[in-house]
Amino acid sequence: MASWIDYTVNGIIIGNIYALLAVGLALIFGVSRLINFAHGSVYVVGAYAGFLAVTHMGTPLPVTLVIVVVVGALLGLLIERFGLRPLQGYAHIAPLLATIGISFVLDQLVQLFFSPDPRALPSSLLETRFQVGSGTIGALDLVIAGVGLISAGLLYWFLRFTRLGWAVRATAQDRDAAQQMGVDVDAVHRTVFAIASGLGAVSGLLVGMYYNYFDPAMSFQATLKGVVAQVVGGVGNVPGAIAGSLLLGLVESYGIALFGTSYRNLFAFILLVVVLVLRPNGLFASRRQTPPEPMTGTFIAPSRPINVPPKALLGAAVAAALVPLVFPHPYVMQTLINAWLYALLGLSLTLIAGTVGLVSLGHAALLAIGGYTSALLALTFGVPVGLAILSAGLFTALLGTMLVFPSFRLRGHYLSIATLAIGEIVSLVILNWESVTRGPIGVSGIPSLSLFGLELDTDRSIYWFTLAVMVVLAALQFRLLGSHLGRVLRAVRDDDVAARSYGIGLDRYKALAFSVGSFAAGVSGAITAHIYSYINHETFNAQLSILALTIVILGGMGNVTGAIVGSVLLVGLPEVFRVAAEYRVLIYGLVLLLLVRFRPQGIMGTV
Amino acid sequence: MPVLHRRLLLGVSAAAVLAAIAPAGAEPAKGEPIYLGVSGPLTGPNAQYGAQWKMGFDLALDEINGSGGIKGRPLAYVFEDTQSDPRQSVAVAQKFVADPKIVAELGDFASPASMAASPIYQKAKLVQFGFTNSHPDFTKGGDYMWSNSVSQADEQPLSAAYAVKRLGLKRIAVLHLNTDWGRTSKEIFNKAAKEYGAEVVATEGYLPDEKDFRSTLVRVRDAKPDGVMLISYYSDAALIARQIRQSGLKLPIVAASSVYSPKLIELGGDAVEGIFTASRYFPDDPRPQVRDFVARFKAKYGKEPDAFNAYAYDTMILMAQVMREFGADRKSIHDGLAKVKDVPSVIFGKTTFDIQTRRVTGAKNVELVVKDGRFTLWDGGTAVR
Amino acid sequence: MSGMLEIRGLTRRFGGLTAVAAVDLDVAEHEFVSIIGPNGAGKTTLFNLVTGLDEADAGTVSLAGRDISGMPPDRLAALGVARTFQHGRVFANLTVLDNILVGAHVRFRSVRPAWPGPLSLLEPVAELALALVRPGKVKAEEAQMREEALRILARFGERLLPRKDNPAYSLSYANRRRVEIGRALALGPRLLLLDEPTAGMNQTETAEMQSLIGDLKKTGLTILLIEHKLDMVMQLSDRVVVMDEGHVIANGTPAEVRNDPKVIEAYLGHRRADRAPVEEAAE
Repeated sequence: MASWIDYTVNGIIIGNIYALLAVGLALIFGVSRLINFAHGSVYVVGAYAGFLAVTHMGTPLPVTLVIVVVVGALLGLLIERFGLRPLQGYAHIAPLLATIGISFVLDQLVQLFFSPDPRALPSSLLETRFQVGSGTIGALDLVIAGVGLISAGLLYWFLRFTRLGWAVRATAQDRDAAQQMGVDVDAVHRTVFAIASGLGAVSGLLVGMYYNYFDPAMSFQATLKGVVAQVVGGVGNVPGAIAGSLLLGLVESYGIALFGTSYRNLFAFILLVVVLVLRPNGLFASRRQTPPEPMTGTFIAPSRPINVPPKALLGAAVAAALVPLVFPHPYVMQTLINAWLYALLGLSLTLIAGTVGLVSLGHAALLAIGGYTSALLALTFGVPVGLAILSAGLFTALLGTMLVFPSFRLRGHYLSIATLAIGEIVSLVILNWESVTRGPIGVSGIPSLSLFGLELDTDRSIYWFTLAVMVVLAALQFRLLGSHLGRVLRAVRDDDVAARSYGIGLDRYKALAFSVGSFAAGVSGAITAHIYSYINHETFNAQLSILALTIVILGGMGNVTGAIVGSVLLVGLPEVFRVAAEYRVLIYGLVLLLLVRFRPQGIMGTV
Repeated sequence: MPVLHRRLLLGVSAAAVLAAIAPAGAEPAKGEPIYLGVSGPLTGPNAQYGAQWKMGFDLALDEINGSGGIKGRPLAYVFEDTQSDPRQSVAVAQKFVADPKIVAELGDFASPASMAASPIYQKAKLVQFGFTNSHPDFTKGGDYMWSNSVSQADEQPLSAAYAVKRLGLKRIAVLHLNTDWGRTSKEIFNKAAKEYGAEVVATEGYLPDEKDFRSTLVRVRDAKPDGVMLISYYSDAALIARQIRQSGLKLPIVAASSVYSPKLIELGGDAVEGIFTASRYFPDDPRPQVRDFVARFKAKYGKEPDAFNAYAYDTMILMAQVMREFGADRKSIHDGLAKVKDVPSVIFGKTTFDIQTRRVTGAKNVELVVKDGRFTLWDGGTAVR
Repeated sequence: MSGMLEIRGLTRRFGGLTAVAAVDLDVAEHEFVSIIGPNGAGKTTLFNLVTGLDEADAGTVSLAGRDISGMPPDRLAALGVARTFQHGRVFANLTVLDNILVGAHVRFRSVRPAWPGPLSLLEPVAELALALVRPGKVKAEEAQMREEALRILARFGERLLPRKDNPAYSLSYANRRRVEIGRALALGPRLLLLDEPTAGMNQTETAEMQSLIGDLKKTGLTILLIEHKLDMVMQLSDRVVVMDEGHVIANGTPAEVRNDPKVIEAYLGHRRADRAPVEEAAE
């Protein structure tokens, strides 16, 4: 039973660390209504800045902390000025993607500069430890707690008792009103970003020192945990973020105590989803009555889509079908096969995120469900592959919709975060449910593609099969969009309050759209499994979800042709860029940023 | 013959032998290079391993091309970045297979990436040499799938023997990476440990990006083990070791040979003092290949090589040997792998393949312990399978 | 005339504030009732309670004798209740024509079969299938709806018809409010609730709108109107209801209400916030 004290202490310590991140995120959200996905990157830059300071300049700890705060604040200002300020007034999705693009760029730069190898400080600063219960706490634990408390205190004082702090709170409550009262909203944004980023950078350094482990890959996890903690506590609510972080740390710690380490992240995400569904304002939000007429939900960048006449589309399809005969180069065909599979994913997401407005950040989970279902049906039950793929699509439609359904009541950012969490949960379940999915060992020996007993084992046959499936599903989606459902779904996206008032049951149509989209994604995952003959829980990872979103934005949200064009470009271009292998991800992030900044409606326009 | 004469004869013979095998300033290779295709991570989460590979390859190529290359032609490699992602490794496979200049393929880093591409290599009859793929099913992909990576089936029993029979641990807590490599290894280790008479009192799997093990260690502590086994890579092993020390647990730690790297000491500092591990090779190993390898590596890069460098180096040397003996085209390389015997190897001493499994027989294990910030031999003995 | 809408004791509180306080209201069929009052009187909240966008804390609402308390907005739409919104809510990225067609959604029967009991779970599947296949009946009904929509657009003269394929976001403010009304008409409502349809419009536009609403009245539609422009209210209404701070303080013909001292005091008392209505009331 003494162990439970230890688990509690551990939970609080880890919660402390999450708090440093969550507070920064909460500040930014409170003022800009933006989930800053680049926060983890600032965290990493801070860590390495501190690393450099200690190893190359030998600065003592307090000086290092100051240097890191300054570096972080400057970086925050840069991000705000060049990455986000130009996007004011754009659709909300734009800053979200911009921060994702910025995080790619920053992470890659750090990796290029410092190498992907993890580093450690030559000697651990502050080695003294104190006995607590049957475990110990180190001096660094206390420093982190101290920094956390001091920052919280400073923040509180700043927000409560200074002019600028008052301005920040006013802007957070009602931006327009604040502006009319003479608040320089831009200055407020700058200040908040600087403070939050400074805090983020310091937390990076402290955590790096704590584990004595500096590595560029810590960015994504940091952002994720920070977001979870913040949402649990109450989005935009600083004390709530701290409380949420501690709660998260405790839940994780107890989860490990009861079930084992493998389940740590699973608990974090389940907690998130539960909170979102039951108390979307967070567990510690003040009880505020929501006004009866919520804000309009439009976030699509309005534009006129480029109209491609049906004959041209038909011509393009024919041209695509002729490729194996005219350019029988296997490399070209393989690349295009990948493109068609991504296009299916793109079709799926452009319907769900574009047409209906449910911006899903966890779409790769649908691929995984489809892939595993088809693989296991064919392998374990001997179901013919064609039938397995079809069944997998249907099953994904059913399961996918059921999983997302409870979060249909959420809007905007909340929905996106919920989908991100659900996606991670699916991935973790696949990893841990070994009896069914074989865990990390994965499923190997998946039967290759065959249709009605005919083996599709040549490049050509696989190419034509994939192309055909993609064309058929694209055609069905066109038909769907041209029917009454096209306008009904877009009405749900544009203004769900008005839609409801005109007889459109929101749950019904969101479920309908999600099922159709999930079918396409499930089929894509299933075909992938049979082509690659081996899948595991990492085959369909979180990066794919972001890639899918980029394809959809690139093509134009809701635009079927755009989804296909987007995937051909995003699959083809990296192949072209192979020349600059190390710089590929960097270029990719920059492209995303430029796109979001200068052409958020994508190439073909939103529909 | 008098002793002095015998020694003289031996000395002269030795010198003659050394002169024969040493690259005694033979003319460097020139002409159209022979290309190996390398499929591996240059970016992404495993990028650090791709970088280690390159270092090993380049060192080997200095040697190979400095001594005449492959019958006069230089050997080179083309490294295509796959991020160890199966989708990309498949595309790269297509590329290599279609390029007649590529005579064999090396990689990918992670088994899923390699195995996804295997059908392509097998069909096109291009050798896929997955030198870091220890997944038990990798070489089952076809007779063109080869590997000199020691399968976990061979390695983990050696670790178990070290832990149980030689170090005398009876109640072991196992922490393992929750990946295919980690899980397979854990299964085999646990089985072997039980066979040797120990009890596995706790098994905890963790994800590769996990950093906080405090609560895990509470669980471990509550199981009352007398030793901890880490089935990890050097970065996570360093993290765990640190936290074991910080939590006040005073337990001997045994780690799989995958932690063997100067980075373990760099990242772990004092915390890894006293860790027991093993390795296929060891810098103080008197074997001439090892000494040579370590010296050259240090001279070229200024640091000590680790297992990933060594495997890459060995693989390049192996390929060169096969090509020299049997021919530098796709079919010959395939056939040659089955026939080649006793290729000098840093890791194995001599490499010969088991034709049934297409893996290498005769894994050696040098038992080590970290003392005073360096890996040192444990009681001087080696365990040979 | 029979009762179309019957509200009894309807109450809504927000924390310490009572937005709607035990309101009783009757609207007979074909009647034109306006609701006026200072800002914050609870008028829009009342609309939200009646149309199901908000849930009352107490009280009941009945539509043509049927209890509709607590029913969600989509069901009420199917029962013939249509409304427009205080700040105008069109579907910005849909064309003008599509906006109108969405209004007719509840009447598009052939594509949305109604199945009993547990089978109702499969209705969306049927709707999807029908949308993709589009058999004759569906096509015919869609064409009919389209014609009707065009007729509705024609009511607005040359304002909307030439722009029927333009996205709604490209329209002027006044046109967008017109689209909203067109959409409401497409529903074929029994009860039409209009929330400040002329807000932000100049005199010409207001006059046009007034004329349109007058025409609607002539068709016998039961209309509930929230408005601040008292001229219009007095000219159109059969009855006027005055609300202040959540209570109904007057309920009678335009003439009765105009001279009610309680009403004048309510407006005078709120003079600082509402200048315009006081000026109009003084005419």
